[in-house]
Amino acid sequence: MPALKAEEPGQEETVQDGGDVVYEKEHDDGVSPSDLSELLKAGTVEAHDKAENTQFVKDFLKGHIRKELFKLGTVALYFTYSALEEEMDGNRDQPQFAPLYFPEELHRREALAKDLEFFYGENWQAVVQLSEATRKYVDRIHEVGRSEPELLVAHAYTRYMGDLSGGQVLKKVAQRALKLPSTGEGVQFYTFDNISSAKEFKQLYRSRMNDLDLDQETKLRIVEEANRAFGFNMEIFNELERVGKTIKDEVLDGGLPEYDGKGDLSKCPYYAAKTAAGGGSACVCHMAMAVLRHPTGQVMMSACIALLAGVAAWYLM
Amino acid sequence: MADSEMEMDGGPSGAGAPAEGESMLGMVDVLLFSIIAGLLIFWAVFRKKKKEEIPEFKKIPPQAITPRETSFIEKMKKTGKNIVVFYGSQTGTAEEFANRLSKDAQRYGMRGTVADPEEYDMSELSRLSEIDNSIAMFCMATYGEGDPTDNAQDFYDWLQEADDDLSGVNFTVFGLGNKTYEHYNAMGKYVDKRLQQLGAKRIFDLGMGDDDGNLEEDFVSWREQFWPAVCEHFGVEATGDESSIRQYELVVHTDINMNKVYTGEMGRLKSFETQKMPFDAKNPFLGTVTVNRKLNKGGSRHLMHLELDISASKIRYDSGDHVAVYPINDTTIVNKIGEILNVDLDTVISLNNLDEESNKKHPFPCPTSYRTALTHYLDITNPPRTNVLYELSQYATDPKDQETLRKMASSATEGKSHYQTWVLEAKRNILAILQDMPSLRPPIDHLCELLPRLQARYYSIASSSKVHSNSVHICAVVVEYETKTGRTNKGVATNWLKNKVPTDNGHKSMVPLFVRKSQFRLPFKASTPVIMIGPGTGIAPFMGFIQERAWLKQQGKEVGETVLYYGCRHRNEDFLYQEELEQFEKDGVLTQLNVAFSRDQDEKVYVQHLLKKNKENLWKLIHTDNAHIYICGDARNMARDVQNTFYEIASELGSMTHTQAVDYVKKLMTKGRYSQDVWS
Repeated sequence: MPALKAEEPGQEETVQDGGDVVYEKEHDDGVSPSDLSELLKAGTVEAHDKAENTQFVKDFLKGHIRKELFKLGTVALYFTYSALEEEMDGNRDQPQFAPLYFPEELHRREALAKDLEFFYGENWQAVVQLSEATRKYVDRIHEVGRSEPELLVAHAYTRYMGDLSGGQVLKKVAQRALKLPSTGEGVQFYTFDNISSAKEFKQLYRSRMNDLDLDQETKLRIVEEANRAFGFNMEIFNELERVGKTIKDEVLDGGLPEYDGKGDLSKCPYYAAKTAAGGGSACVCHMAMAVLRHPTGQVMMSACIALLAGVAAWYLM
Repeated sequence: MADSEMEMDGGPSGAGAPAEGESMLGMVDVLLFSIIAGLLIFWAVFRKKKKEEIPEFKKIPPQAITPRETSFIEKMKKTGKNIVVFYGSQTGTAEEFANRLSKDAQRYGMRGTVADPEEYDMSELSRLSEIDNSIAMFCMATYGEGDPTDNAQDFYDWLQEADDDLSGVNFTVFGLGNKTYEHYNAMGKYVDKRLQQLGAKRIFDLGMGDDDGNLEEDFVSWREQFWPAVCEHFGVEATGDESSIRQYELVVHTDINMNKVYTGEMGRLKSFETQKMPFDAKNPFLGTVTVNRKLNKGGSRHLMHLELDISASKIRYDSGDHVAVYPINDTTIVNKIGEILNVDLDTVISLNNLDEESNKKHPFPCPTSYRTALTHYLDITNPPRTNVLYELSQYATDPKDQETLRKMASSATEGKSHYQTWVLEAKRNILAILQDMPSLRPPIDHLCELLPRLQARYYSIASSSKVHSNSVHICAVVVEYETKTGRTNKGVATNWLKNKVPTDNGHKSMVPLFVRKSQFRLPFKASTPVIMIGPGTGIAPFMGFIQERAWLKQQGKEVGETVLYYGCRHRNEDFLYQEELEQFEKDGVLTQLNVAFSRDQDEKVYVQHLLKKNKENLWKLIHTDNAHIYICGDARNMARDVQNTFYEIASELGSMTHTQAVDYVKKLMTKGRYSQDVWS
């Protein structure tokens, strides 16, 4: 007997599953309002905004990204995606994840390994380290993959959908700011060789998310987990920001050294001359000296002396 | 006067009258003495200081401290540049384009510089006419809701308020945008329009790049047509020094090991002799043609079904994916080009990039022969673009021909329309142009440098890998038509495929191919209903879909409604896969087979008419049963007409306004329930 799903806005949805009937309440929203894709989008909009507005991301978008930080960011991504893809591989046949298993199109681990080799050399595996914030993220992913696989979609959604959207902008920014070769080394992460249209792939991915058989409660837990994923990402950005402060100040890649208003003003010859020659001084003595230096003042002075001399002479004689 | 103020007691005061006996000096004398003394003191004491006086100074101009020129005009004059390229860039793309345009200038005898509008006084634009043969170019990206990029904000503000007279200022704009956004290229369009309003002269049409499509391609196309137009405008000869505009240098190999010569490979030498995995665009697999049959029973066209064997390639595909093939050109055309240019096509040559920094060492795999280049690597059948005509014009010995070619590349209305009719509408390819312009005889190596690369052709795979794991099927119609010049033009790939018969004199027919993953996929659950709309060769991917649903049914899965809407001209002529489809219908795999025969009756009947007839059923499937809709085939008319029909159905049966219905369908697209695999 084919499984029937009757959905009409404003009414209760019943799903028959081997005799059990599950009731769900829906809001009057038009087309299939309980679609996971829509719930996720709406439910993470705040977290997404917050992430976009972290100092690290804002700087990045402006091209103010230091190579050292970009490299460390790539390291964090490597550990994150290795964990995520490991759990996805493990859950590929689980009904709660199977429809979303797209290893050829999506998986980033190899691309990240190539990027790390480019940045750190052949010995990169011995050099890269798992940071504190990344470890927390990785641990949660493993936990979800092993004990709550129905929530794995939350992590996949948060990362991959982002990579296929704004992530493409980041690629260009990074290439330009870090003067990376146009042949794509260093940003293989952002290059999805097996996806010819990011837009169409996202549409396909959404249809698969909506194909998962989930009750409303699980969908809400997924949204919650997605927000948690955003949180982990933000922690990594903040950690990078902190590390950035300890790195010696270097010339911002891609920019010219900026004048920062510091310097010894008294060394400036023009400033010294200006204060010596002209106004601005409250000292009477200075004033007098200033007046004296003025030609008109000098004539006046001379005339006064002459006058005084004349008066004195007259008086004495 | 002091005199008159000095009233002296007891003595007559008179000007200059000597005092009586009391003193030698009178009052006046004393006074005069004082004045003289004062002057002397003044002179002695103060004059020296005057010399040491620090000069009065006004506001120090910026140059005195650091050389920061805010006048781009001054900068251009100082550095001898006549072209300035401004950019409005956020992520660096527009800036990169600006850099490339600036570098280009040199090839055309001009000197370019790049400028960030934020760093310069844009109100100086009106002064551009002070420089001879100058052009202001703009690469403007649109951001957000049709906004300027950060670095172009001031410029944008200035444009809005300015009332400067920009006559004498030559300009052109290239806009960077994205069609998925509502205000597509708003900034580029605005700058283009506004500059003209302020009196500036547009020397080339606004170019618009679409990042949703192919921004790079849009830019390259525009820029290649721009420069010849500029040369035309200024009457500048892009020639003079030929080597200054050639990008590649010709090397003829007289004594070369034939094992080092390319004979049609895309990447690695000998990759067609020794095939190595993995197979992709740079390393195609040579599939064997196992089936090549005509699909239609009548009519003048030739529709065909091919099966290509991919065993041993380890190539995997999903139904809905695309197979790409690398065709070759018709040898007749290649030979004729060789004859008309009087060249030995078997000469082995290399074209080496003069720019050593460039990643692109050669325009196509070298060393190779002219014959191989024209057959395997170059596009010789599409009408050449204007920049090609412009660069070839120098080789026309008849000045009228030269003039014609140059004019066609210019932005002059007359020239553009001549190109439109004589080249585009008449479908003249390079051979036709050479035949119709006998004075035009370019050197073959320059021609090879100018012609674009021969592209791979993509076909929707017409099979399911579950059923045919070692074979990809193709369904295509052979392209052949008469042009206005009386010539017959043939489609490169379709004619080449048509002649690929399974055994060709004992030799197998091979097709270099690779698979490109698509996003056109059956729903994950077999139970989800599917509505497939694919008239003509659009049926291709659906053969794969239906085969797969049949296979799933065989596997015991619950398979949902499988509905097909197909269209063709005549039932008795081009009902493709009729037997297969009718069998699927009998077997219950295809739950609905709806066919529209457009020319079997007086009025035209297309798939959309059938959709309208079955609107209730369709609405139930879509709105109640969560069906996925798939469209495949002609993009221009069919896809649009079908989409409109769905708007109507949603509106009528869903009780929605037209706007709501449009929203409903758009939402289906976003959620991956309305997919398209269409071509124009």
